[in-house]
Amino acid sequence: MNVAERIVVRFYSILRLRLKTERVELAVAETTIKELLHLVEQKTGQKFLAELLDDAGEMLMGTIILVNGKNIRLLKKMATKARGGDTVDLISPVGGG
Amino acid sequence: MSGWLGKIAKVDLSSGQQEIVPIPADWQRRYLGGRGLGVKLYTTLCSPATDPLAADNALIFMTGPLNGTVMTSGRYQVISRSPLTLTICDSSSGGSFGAVLKQAGLDGLIIQGRAKSPVFLAIHEGKIEIRDAGHLWGLNTQQTQRAVIGETDRKASVACIGPAGENQVLFASILNDKDRAAGRGGMGAVMGSKNLKALAVYGNREVPVANPEAMKNLTARLDRIVDKNPVTGKSLPVLGTSVLVNVMNAHGMFPVHNFRRGVFNDAEGISGEKIAESLLQRQSACYKCPIACGRSTKTNNKQGEGPEYESVWALGANLGISDLAAITEANYACNELGLDTITMGGTLGCAMELAAEGVFPGDFHWGDAGSLSSWIEDTAWQRGIGAELAQGSRRLAEKYGRPEAAMQVKGLEIPAYDPRGAQGMALAFATSNRGGCHMRAYLIGPEILGHPVFLDRFSTAGKAEIVALFQDISALVDSLTLCRFLQLAVGISTFTEMLNGVTGLDFSDEELLRVGRRIYTLERSFNVQAGFNRRDDSLPPRFLQEKLPEGPSRNRVVQLDEMLDRYYAIRGWDGNGVPLPQTIETLGL
Repeated sequence: MNVAERIVVRFYSILRLRLKTERVELAVAETTIKELLHLVEQKTGQKFLAELLDDAGEMLMGTIILVNGKNIRLLKKMATKARGGDTVDLISPVGGG
Repeated sequence: MSGWLGKIAKVDLSSGQQEIVPIPADWQRRYLGGRGLGVKLYTTLCSPATDPLAADNALIFMTGPLNGTVMTSGRYQVISRSPLTLTICDSSSGGSFGAVLKQAGLDGLIIQGRAKSPVFLAIHEGKIEIRDAGHLWGLNTQQTQRAVIGETDRKASVACIGPAGENQVLFASILNDKDRAAGRGGMGAVMGSKNLKALAVYGNREVPVANPEAMKNLTARLDRIVDKNPVTGKSLPVLGTSVLVNVMNAHGMFPVHNFRRGVFNDAEGISGEKIAESLLQRQSACYKCPIACGRSTKTNNKQGEGPEYESVWALGANLGISDLAAITEANYACNELGLDTITMGGTLGCAMELAAEGVFPGDFHWGDAGSLSSWIEDTAWQRGIGAELAQGSRRLAEKYGRPEAAMQVKGLEIPAYDPRGAQGMALAFATSNRGGCHMRAYLIGPEILGHPVFLDRFSTAGKAEIVALFQDISALVDSLTLCRFLQLAVGISTFTEMLNGVTGLDFSDEELLRVGRRIYTLERSFNVQAGFNRRDDSLPPRFLQEKLPEGPSRNRVVQLDEMLDRYYAIRGWDGNGVPLPQTIETLGL
């Protein structure tokens, strides 16, 4: 698969433990984050959206989704586009310090 | 009165004299306890002319009105002037010591003077016994705790110093309940300067609660809230604080090589996720804490607690070290010897940078995991090059003519967030009353973690306002002497409810915020009298001039001046950072 035709999705925190994998690669040229999450569910065979989203499909307080390191809350939130060659980080709510 | 016992003792170790210190009637309401009441007492006993390591300096162990009652109320604060920064300083620790100090009959203890030979204090039923500790001098913190428990009571909680405190390393810590640490600012050095090896507290006194039924209901409600919250109920107990390694790295602000870079290629190998699958034996919790963020861990050679996020960074990525077992054992060594891991790592990072430039004589190289434990040991005992490391990064860098190589504010090493990646966190570092510290105002919450609101990390808009507010809230929570992690699940109104339920008083949220502001301004006033001003509310030039070279924070620098002017205006301080007379008057200082 050509790099430009795949999106790398990385998982952190509780989400990683839930999915039991650090990352998946999706052969998609372009998609929204909302669609991408469903594609990841299909690929992993696991229902994990509750770790990131509320019942209305909006991000929980503390959910972090980055496209190439940029927080989608500063872009178009769940309508933000990810394209082939991008890296998407999915981080379920964390704290520490 | 409920909550407070109304008993703060003072011991002069030079003369052996003891007294109960009368507290003016309104101080508890105006300063609460912990950090606030401790700082107020300190400023009445000492002046900005006081040498932190001189006999007349005061070292204050303080609890608050909630200790021993509500969840996370085992904490305590240690207050003094820092020998590392010369600012006012308070250092906080978890475990159970704060609750047990009250069960032993005291709200707090002020220690002045210097014992002729090493001693420890046994505190029980409100009485303080000064006992010989000559046979304990030289023992590490774990050996000391076991020995003192053996000589006092099997249920005693012990706070003590290790060799680093005895040798007055400027960033020596105080350890209690095995591995809980009052780490920052060198409170262990102050303790060592007094020839005071340990405090043992034990007793069965119940803390009076004004409205036990209301508190029972509140506790049940809070248990559900904390359990349901995804951070306090899942992420922290399962993965601990080191879960932040990958998160900060993904934002390009995980400091590498003494903050020269913001992306660590080996982050996965030292992450909280990795610790959970490799070293973790079990979670550990402080007194009445349902979160249990502590990590009991084991390497092939040793076992202990941690490393926490700050320590895994300071002794790892900051030095270019990715050997998790070596980092973990270095963390154990810091705990045993009684050293602040953040300043230890910050100082080693500075030494490595100086050595790479050829201006430092020591054999220091990025990534040298094999030497880590011996450097730490030499620092604690002030042996060879360790005697120079024992002074912290600022003094080390100044000695070798490169003061800008020390990543510090007011002499305290900056923790594991590159300020170029979060403008508000940068302002919080610069204006912190105890120097480079993330705990005065944790802007990483809104700027990275999206809690309690999400803010653009690269924008300066509104950051001055929220830094001042967070500083006030942090001063408040430190004076209630509760764990900051509770704030991940509840807001200030819950703290008000707790305080009113325990004390029977009628605080409002507004009054408590005002208490926080009063405490922060009192601390600032002490620092101003000690000579600190706008010049000191700054950051190393690296953060103001050098752009991060790579990653999601690439090309960023801190825009400090524009935030600082606004911050001073919000605080009611003049352009040089000095509280205006009307600010002092309005807060009743």
